[in-house]
Amino acid sequence: MVIELLTKRYPGMRAWLMQRLTALIMAVYSVMLFLRICVLQPDTYAAFLEFFQPTWFRIASWLFWISLSIHAWLGIRDVFKDYVPNMQVRSGLLKILVVLLWVYIAWASWLFLM
Amino acid sequence: MPENEIQSSRKAKTKNRPKNLNLLTIRLPINALVSILHRATGCALFLVLPIMLLLLQLSLSSVAHFETVVSIFNSPFSKLIMLGFAWAFFHHFFAGVRHLAMDVHWMTTLMKARYTSKIVLVLGVLATLVLAIKLW
Repeated sequence: MVIELLTKRYPGMRAWLMQRLTALIMAVYSVMLFLRICVLQPDTYAAFLEFFQPTWFRIASWLFWISLSIHAWLGIRDVFKDYVPNMQVRSGLLKILVVLLWVYIAWASWLFLM
Repeated sequence: MPENEIQSSRKAKTKNRPKNLNLLTIRLPINALVSILHRATGCALFLVLPIMLLLLQLSLSSVAHFETVVSIFNSPFSKLIMLGFAWAFFHHFFAGVRHLAMDVHWMTTLMKARYTSKIVLVLGVLATLVLAIKLW
């Protein structure tokens, strides 16, 4: 029953679950980032580079950004659904949103993974 | 009643329906306040994503750029703006945790929901205050 709700026939349930899953990932990352900043206190350029160096931290940051993109997509889409009744305007705005999010993902991937 | 009369009376009804979109006439209970702030802060955070990426890129690119970013963060005006967005983040974070708690059937009665709403509002402001003290 629960698994059935997660199939393609119920896209709303999948959106709902993705919003929560990505929220959890981001919440865990945020707490980790906060603690890491408190412990390492990177206040010089060298310290900041070192702060950013570890592979696990870069991958975690990248996963955070992917989660953020999915979360923002679902959230802003809901906002458009609520406040933009004109379907043409709404679909235009959604297209802009998708392009923006992909540009940010490309940018973040370059920063975190290169 | 004949068919066309029903239709015209229906039309009249639709026409005379009150449209209550005057935001000043809507009373906002505390849970609704937390909810709309959750949405508003989410939108605000979305809007600053490119700025965050830009600042991150600058601070990683060279010593000179790193110093520039530090000096930007040190000006009182940008500190104030940063605190605003920090509050947006904290509120969105705590309100989100509240949502997750309710998803697992925690704190779902009206009284408890009102109580956790207050906690969320206070925690958001409190975290921002702590950060403000740290920044100055």
